[in-house]
Amino acid sequence: MYLQELQLQHFRNYPSADLELGPGINVLLGENAQGKTNLLEAIYVLALTRSHRTANDHDLVNWEAKTAKVSGRVVKSVGSVPLELTFSRQGKRAKVNHLEQARLSQYIGQLNVILFAPEDLAIVKGAPTVRRRFMDMEFGQMNPRYLYNLSQYRTLLKQRNRYLKDLQHKQNRDLLFLSVLTDQLAAYGAEIIAQRLRMLHKLEHWAQAIHAEISQQKEELTFHYATQVPEDQLTDPDTICAALTQLYKEHQDKELYRGTTLVGPHRDDLHFRVNGKNVQTFGSQGQQRTTALSVKLAEIDLMKEETGEYPVLLLDDVLSELDDARQTHLLKAIQDKVQTFITTTSLSGITRQLIKDPTIFHVANGTVVADGSAPSGDPATKED
Amino acid sequence: MQYPEPIAQLIDSYMKLPGIGQKSATRLAFFTIDMADDDVTAFSKALVSAKRDLHYCSICGNITESDPCAICADKTRDQSHVLVVEQAKDIMVMEKMKEYHGLYHVLHGVMSPIEGKGPEDLNITSLINRLQKNPDMKEVIIATNATPEGEATAMYLSRLIKPAGIKVTRLAHGLSVGSDIEYADEMTLFKAVEGRTEM
Ligand SMILES: Nc1ncnc2c1ncn2[C@@H]1O[C@H](COP(=O)(O)OP(=O)(O)O)[C@@H](O)[C@H]1O
Ligand SMILES: [Mg+2]
Ligand SMILES: [Zn+2]
Repeated sequence: MYLQELQLQHFRNYPSADLELGPGINVLLGENAQGKTNLLEAIYVLALTRSHRTANDHDLVNWEAKTAKVSGRVVKSVGSVPLELTFSRQGKRAKVNHLEQARLSQYIGQLNVILFAPEDLAIVKGAPTVRRRFMDMEFGQMNPRYLYNLSQYRTLLKQRNRYLKDLQHKQNRDLLFLSVLTDQLAAYGAEIIAQRLRMLHKLEHWAQAIHAEISQQKEELTFHYATQVPEDQLTDPDTICAALTQLYKEHQDKELYRGTTLVGPHRDDLHFRVNGKNVQTFGSQGQQRTTALSVKLAEIDLMKEETGEYPVLLLDDVLSELDDARQTHLLKAIQDKVQTFITTTSLSGITRQLIKDPTIFHVANGTVVADGSAPSGDPATKED
Repeated sequence: MQYPEPIAQLIDSYMKLPGIGQKSATRLAFFTIDMADDDVTAFSKALVSAKRDLHYCSICGNITESDPCAICADKTRDQSHVLVVEQAKDIMVMEKMKEYHGLYHVLHGVMSPIEGKGPEDLNITSLINRLQKNPDMKEVIIATNATPEGEATAMYLSRLIKPAGIKVTRLAHGLSVGSDIEYADEMTLFKAVEGRTEM
């Protein structure tokens, strides 16, 4: 799939913008603090309805405006579809093909994106929440069912945590209602864990091949899903559900005492191992970078496998961070098949010979103009 | 300039209604001033009487003028089935369908600890009393919405009631996930009643 057009209104520092995008490599060229990342963010938001760098939707609205709008047209093998998102004080509204969608799980997945940013290293080096968010965001956009389970699980988790706290103050404890919340939480939790395992298994397969190539076959990358559910019971959702139920039974006193839910996918983690050793604790800086890059690159193949379409790639200031070998790898992986947006302050940092016919946009102070053409002109590389 | 006080008060009253902001309230207030005197009198009477003459039915929790409500008082209705709904307005939707002839019970909400609603805040005790007193009771049909809270409430009720040997079913098919029963059309509801599943 690729994004054919993008329109912005009062989004971040853009009063308005209307772009025709190339199906191949698009370079966003400009000085710092001009709006390059804002433009990538707009594409990310159009795909996932939320930003990668703020939890507060209102940050996306231009400081002088009340409402921000991002819209675009996605071209897929089955045809093209217009998407539209509006952010205002009243909340956000999402339209697919001009029709308003009541649930985000019906919207997300229309446009798939993968963002590469210097912060990606946190997937390897950061806290477990970073990896859980990584799994949830990526698997969620490939699979509406995952998104649905996740939203049910989060609601139930909030209810259960509150009820556990309520029970601390109450005289007569209605443990029947707790058992209901527990069983429902276990059911959705088991679905989530089973889906994570299935997707991780595939992601590991793709990441392994890439990692082996970058490390010139010297290293083997493996994934390990860290959970309280015993390894031999990590099979189908029913078995996992039974295991979770048993764990909740064992932890009930502790949970009542602490007033919070101590078991479930919201406590799990993902470990990356290189040659059998956890790369977070034992890996060199180089191994950690290679791992992060392999995992992200593997997502391209996983999305293609899961959805039948290649995602759109957003590379925010990453090329300059990578050495020549890793840069070559990245560009080889995307060449000719994946629409890519690259931000950079200068073209000299990029291995030019690998990028054939890029569409170049000049970004300056909230405006964006296609290279060598009037603001409304056609990018030189349009081809279908 | 300030609005004359009677108008300001009317605007303020309209703003207490759900979904009405200052703009719509102002529009409604000025519209009211232009209405025929009779209409305004009837309107104000209806408002007062709705509040004064309506109560909750002491048996089922439905909104009613007389206690017990018309449905509970109607002995020709099937006394062996009770359909449990979240809100009194859900009864109207079900009744329009004309396919269900049993009794009802209104919970007045669903369990949601985040909103401060636990089991003791719902109309559950009277349901249990009803079931205990009625030896003809065969089946309790739970029609709470397909939200996580609606599901949890349904499961709670089924665990509470089943030990008494009464069959508990749940409306399943047709009620779309996360949707309000209010918006379900009648045909879908009919299918939902047909396709209920035992809990
Ligand atoms: N909501 C907003 N309204 C107006 N300007 C904004 C808003 N959010 C960020 N900006 C501005 O956008 C600029 C940063 O743009 P960014 O895309 O991050 O730069 P870069 O080109 O370096 O990637 C800053 O000048 C910042 O002040
Ligand atoms: Mg930037
Ligand atoms: Zn009644």
